[in-house]
Amino acid sequence: MINTEVLVEEVVREVLKRLSAGKADSCCREPAEKAPEVPEGRELILEEVGPAQKGTKEDEVVIGLSPAFGVKFHENIVGVPLADILREIMAGIAEEGLRARVIRVTHTADVAFIAHAAAKLSGSGVGIGIQSRGTTVIHHKDLQPLNNLELFPQCPVLTLETYRAIGKNAARYAKGESPTPVPVMNDQMARPKYQAKAAVMHNFETQFVKPGTKPVELRVSFGKGGANR
Amino acid sequence: MIIAGVDIGNNTTEIALAKIEDGKPRFLASGISRTTGIKGTPDNVVGIRLALEEAVKKAGLRLEEVKLLRLNEATPVIADVAMEAITETIITESTMIGHNPSTPGGVGLGVGITTPIFELPSKNPGEKVIAVVPKNVDYEDAARIINRALEKGVDVQGAIVQKDDGVLISNRLSKTIPIVDEVSLIEKVPLNMLACVEVAEQGFSIKTLSNPYGIASVFNLSPEETKNVVPIARALIGNRSAVVIKTPAGDVQERKIPAGSLKLKGENGSAVVDLEEGAEKVMKAVEQVWPLVDAEGTPSTNVGGLIARVKETMAELTSQNPKDIRIQDVLAVDTLVQQKVTGGIANEFFSEDAVAIGAMVKSSKLPMEKVAERVEKELGIPVEIAGVEANMAILGALTTPGTDVPVAVLDLGGGSTDAALMNRKGEVLSVHLAGAGEMVNMLIAAELGISDRQAVEDIKRYPVAKVESLFSIRLEDGTVRFFDKPLDPQTFARVCLLKEGNLIPLPAGLSMEKIREVRRSAKRKVFVTNAVRALSKVAPSGNIRLIDFVIMVGGSALDFEVPEMISDTLANYGIVAGRGNIRGTEGPRNAVATGLVLSGWGR
Repeated sequence: MINTEVLVEEVVREVLKRLSAGKADSCCREPAEKAPEVPEGRELILEEVGPAQKGTKEDEVVIGLSPAFGVKFHENIVGVPLADILREIMAGIAEEGLRARVIRVTHTADVAFIAHAAAKLSGSGVGIGIQSRGTTVIHHKDLQPLNNLELFPQCPVLTLETYRAIGKNAARYAKGESPTPVPVMNDQMARPKYQAKAAVMHNFETQFVKPGTKPVELRVSFGKGGANR
Repeated sequence: MIIAGVDIGNNTTEIALAKIEDGKPRFLASGISRTTGIKGTPDNVVGIRLALEEAVKKAGLRLEEVKLLRLNEATPVIADVAMEAITETIITESTMIGHNPSTPGGVGLGVGITTPIFELPSKNPGEKVIAVVPKNVDYEDAARIINRALEKGVDVQGAIVQKDDGVLISNRLSKTIPIVDEVSLIEKVPLNMLACVEVAEQGFSIKTLSNPYGIASVFNLSPEETKNVVPIARALIGNRSAVVIKTPAGDVQERKIPAGSLKLKGENGSAVVDLEEGAEKVMKAVEQVWPLVDAEGTPSTNVGGLIARVKETMAELTSQNPKDIRIQDVLAVDTLVQQKVTGGIANEFFSEDAVAIGAMVKSSKLPMEKVAERVEKELGIPVEIAGVEANMAILGALTTPGTDVPVAVLDLGGGSTDAALMNRKGEVLSVHLAGAGEMVNMLIAAELGISDRQAVEDIKRYPVAKVESLFSIRLEDGTVRFFDKPLDPQTFARVCLLKEGNLIPLPAGLSMEKIREVRRSAKRKVFVTNAVRALSKVAPSGNIRLIDFVIMVGGSALDFEVPEMISDTLANYGIVAGRGNIRGTEGPRNAVATGLVLSGWGR
């Protein structure tokens, strides 16, 4: 039998070593400067436009982004550009004839609470929460924060098609339809393989948390074209 | 002396426990258990013991105190059901029948030549085209290419899209065109052919492509060709979007599967019915030749296989030669089954006509003596085999307050629907018909496309509701019920069954209306039809109107809507019909077991 605990520890040590090496390399740069991890494809432009208001229209789904989404991180845990992920979720909502509103949640890095905060601000009561590493939750305002409509805990196996389907399902919940839950793959190796990286990413995510702050409304545009129509 | 009436049914074994005081029985308790093994086989002993133990415990007695068991002479009838599709839709590349994406884009009717989106820039102004967009083209790029072509003057009339991008593309176009999306096998769409794309507004269904003359006007068809597109038009009725492509050889056929014919032999002659003619014709023929002696299907056809299968199952159960099995009754019901369309290009499903058949077989007398022997040996209680099941059912049913002879009893079971009539002289006439609870299950399973047996049973037994918010549900009668605490998120936005105070979510994609409609029509097709059929057969001189009172008993009489449906129908014949209440306490259950006790010790 493989001792997973030992394995995980080893992986953590290795990752931390590499990360600290990378840090030493980048610590002297300007933080605003585009880090090399910004993907070459579509650029994600997030403009803050003031505090997020509670929506009054029922035809909207609110997407809550985690504190470091698009700020510190530009790719998810397996290197899928966050711009593409957000674009697919928004496209899924638009395909169902609803509108997507994007906010940034800064008081927590917990995906359940991010999603619940988004749901509470959503006119339809349905919200989506997403972390930089890709973990996603579809939430409803009437649920307890740690409950959910659909949870996608294994971020490494989520593809762009899955994100499209997540947006689509959230919109269908908002319409009062009964969607089939989004099918996801289950990878037994995802946990041992990515646990360390996930922990490190989450650690960064929490560094961006500002306790007591209110969610902020974002205007989303993409470097090439735009999906927020 | 403590005695027990034991009724071994197809599905349940029931016990009525009574104490004989001054030659009269006083009932103490009842017991019920699932029948173990096939009815009338020694395997039943386990179920008898369980039910008996339950009754004895309720009465506060010990098993040894029971001095006599009265066993029913079980009617040697066993029923089985089978189903066969009799039509099949075959498409040869001209349309997408049964493909109805939930979110097509745009609205309107577009006619043009199917063109890959990459070739749009090379088209000339004025050319009418339908863009074909495979999945490797992003929706923004697709919209941009189409917009550019429109600017140039190319008349893009519509689009066929592989991904679910219809609305996304439509939102970005300078002109509203109909877009059909989610066409999974887009490579099969014939190119450079004249095609028509139609998308209706939300809440409406298409008008042109669902009308044969509409298709004829679009494609300039001759009267002869128009005749051939009738199945296409028919299959597209009710869709919100559709595509029809005119190819030189393209065709849609509704093929009748050679289902074969059913040969019914009765005491009054015989009849042959083609199954294609539907269930109604079959039932008419059954009535003509009634009483049925045997039925056969044309060998090597669907119906032949179906009847052979029923006979084989029966033979196996009763360890007889299949050749000796005689079919005593047939119930045929028209139904629909969801079948994948042969040759489809979007993985379409289409409802095909099917006929479901329930068959009732009379085997030689069931070896109840063997069961009795085994029970005596294992439980150490003397066993008596008493009375015909139908007589016992009447005796038991008559303990319902407010009933008297002449009376008819309808026993709605799992495998068969039985009727018995007792006249003023106490003479009993009875009949056993094929088709009951299990056939209802089969119809529900086929029409809703559910294979989970427990789910089907639950759908039959419980009403549905839609969870509209986490604090409210809408019931199938349209009323809303509120809750103080939030419901389980698993049930959110789902159609659920109201099962014993719990909400059981059903698979997505089934609407509340559809489930209710299928459930009720299945019950009507089986139980209401059989109630009328059975009562007509026991009624004096075959006239159902001469029956005054009907008592419904048996497991399916517990159903929340079947008794009402039957009462409602029988009211048209001036019959008072209601659910039995055996001994004033047991509801419609325990009739035969009660009758077994009563038959021994008078009333």
